[in-house]
Amino acid sequence: MMLANELPRLLRGTPGTPLTLGQHEATYATTFKVASLLDELEASGLTGRGGAAFPTARKARLLRDQRGHNKVVVVNAMEGEPVSYKDTTLLSANPHLVLDGAAILASIIGAKDVVVCVSRDNPNAVGNVQRALDERERAGAQGPQFKLETAPWRYVAGEESALVHWLNDNESLPQYRPQRPAILKIRHHAVLLDNVETCANVALIGRFGAAWFRALGTAVSPGSVLVTVTGALERAKVLEVVPGMTLRAVLNVAGADADSQAVLLGGYGGSWLDAAHLDTPYDNESLAQWGASVGAGIVVVLGREGCGVVETQRVVQWMANESARQCGPCAFGLPALSDDLAEVGAGRRDASRALQRLEHRCVVIEGRGACRHPDGVVRLVRSALRVFAGDFEGHARGAPCSGSRSRRFFVAVPRLEKEHELVWE
Amino acid sequence: MGVRRRSGAFYLRVNPILCDGFGHCHELAPELVSMDEWGYPLIKREPTALSDLATLESARYAVRGCPRQALRIERVSEN
Amino acid sequence: MIALTTPYLWYTTRATGMVALVLFTLVVSLGTLVANRVGGTVVGRFEVNELHRSVSIVAVVFLAIHILTTVLDSYAPTGWLSAIVPLTSDYRRIGVAVGAAAFDLILAVWISSLLKVRVKNETWRFIHWFSWLAFSSAVLHAYLTGTDAKSGAGLAVVAACALCVFGAALWRYVARPTRAAGRTALSPIASAKGPAPTTPRPVSPLASSSFPRHEPQTMTSTASGENPHAFPRSAAPRQSKRRR
Repeated sequence: MMLANELPRLLRGTPGTPLTLGQHEATYATTFKVASLLDELEASGLTGRGGAAFPTARKARLLRDQRGHNKVVVVNAMEGEPVSYKDTTLLSANPHLVLDGAAILASIIGAKDVVVCVSRDNPNAVGNVQRALDERERAGAQGPQFKLETAPWRYVAGEESALVHWLNDNESLPQYRPQRPAILKIRHHAVLLDNVETCANVALIGRFGAAWFRALGTAVSPGSVLVTVTGALERAKVLEVVPGMTLRAVLNVAGADADSQAVLLGGYGGSWLDAAHLDTPYDNESLAQWGASVGAGIVVVLGREGCGVVETQRVVQWMANESARQCGPCAFGLPALSDDLAEVGAGRRDASRALQRLEHRCVVIEGRGACRHPDGVVRLVRSALRVFAGDFEGHARGAPCSGSRSRRFFVAVPRLEKEHELVWE
Repeated sequence: MGVRRRSGAFYLRVNPILCDGFGHCHELAPELVSMDEWGYPLIKREPTALSDLATLESARYAVRGCPRQALRIERVSEN
Repeated sequence: MIALTTPYLWYTTRATGMVALVLFTLVVSLGTLVANRVGGTVVGRFEVNELHRSVSIVAVVFLAIHILTTVLDSYAPTGWLSAIVPLTSDYRRIGVAVGAAAFDLILAVWISSLLKVRVKNETWRFIHWFSWLAFSSAVLHAYLTGTDAKSGAGLAVVAACALCVFGAALWRYVARPTRAAGRTALSPIASAKGPAPTTPRPVSPLASSSFPRHEPQTMTSTASGENPHAFPRSAAPRQSKRRR
């Protein structure tokens, strides 16, 4: 019997050995009956866990009101952020919860098909989902038709319009969608796209109800949240935390270095937060005052020996390489930001001019892409300029900090691929 | 027979994916479009009144002249 | 079919054909100038574009007269059909066939451009590339059917046109704008240079190069998990449905 105010809710079981269908049913057994799923979802106040925190019920209602008999639910398990492991962990521990949630969403909007999209470069997750789907089929589960699709892994491949475009045309390229509200379509069929963790939470609400769901968390951010903590700690950890607990408490549970400089919140497109503000509650309303957000539940801890300038430069360089190169300001602007950061980071001669150019270019690049990729990078750079102002100044004067010469990097950045190695199809 | 009133405003919007940095819009509607350092358009964010006929005409020329048909004139909804 | 005792329709055909060829040479050259982003200082880029569009209208008018007079003229017996469908003419079968092919292509290019607002940009670009083929067919047609093109001044004109467009094609390729990954292009008026092809340029010489995509994961309640989810290089990508 699952208690309302007890963790874990989502992460039951061990990663690597996913719960079988029988075990899943036993763990999440309930006698509670939900009258109207959509109303329950609305009462729960669940927001999306993919990074944007959009109210899930509102999205579901919008899709339910669309015309069409062949709507599709897409489960986004792409996990484009390199320092996020929560979706993979969830799928390796409890894939059936996610599939249940997708089935519930399908029944709400009237969809007959569910497509689960996992990154092709993540064979473990693909295997877990495939096995879970096979189990469901063998057990003769009712409900929508499930399908597994494996898209190539790119940072932008997890963006909703890019993922749907890949499903349509086999290219993971974000699309320009000026009309609001923007409805995603797969061959003229309306699509409801939700993150894996969001779907899992929907399954919990469907089983236990909104009141149970709201027993944890704050009024505005109810429920539990999966957080990936990396950086200045021994092993990367995925935790299930409750919004409202302070960041410091989260880092303590994760076993992170207590003496850190700053934390990167939200992912590569997120913001830095000074360690002085670690007593802020870990939820969107509280973090907003520092210009940060929970994002996709990512926390990277920057230790004392690190250098914020260098770490930011590495991230921006990789993000520039991950641009879809469809829009000029992103295709040319992000590499320019990366070069400027490299100049400042190395403390070269015109580093101070590079610093000025950086601020100017941030203003020029923001908001001019089809997707929010350049905006995320600009947000990261601006927060770095704010949080590491002293370091930037020192570097610009030609006196780089000791951290920049250290060989230890806290923000793990994947290998930079050459352009012809990038697979978009 | 009445005077056709021009109330309301418009935006010049660019589809950043279609835009290829040709720069014709900047030549045709310099009061609305300037260029960034990579040759891509920086369009005025504030709406322009429809009664500003000269600017509206420039905007129309820019929409017509764009080699990639990347520009659109969007009316600001009145409410 | 107008049965004339004088060959004036036929003269008109030949004359308008020549003029159309010269005009289309101009059109293609101007199009090349637009695509390679010429202008901005003395002549506006939009002016080159407008000229390209205007001259194409004039060229199509002359082409229309050329085809009309050919079809109406009974001296060279070609029916209406053979202007559009290749290989249906009795008179100079291959030559007229090539001309019909050129006309079809020019029609496609022209109509898609007239309806440019309605057609999707990728579709328009795809059709527009065929203008090179259209011109080549036109030159071939001029040589194969043209009474004037076989020798003397006529041949000189046709050869000059062909050479001009061939040069334009070469220049089109050589002076093409630099693109970011085959998609968006660096503008010719950019004051900043474009990004170099990606080479890893780490700040520190010992920047991590072999970073496993996924590291070992743990959860709150359990001890450290196993199984680093290191991503191997992706498997062979699926066949692309459409090339950019």
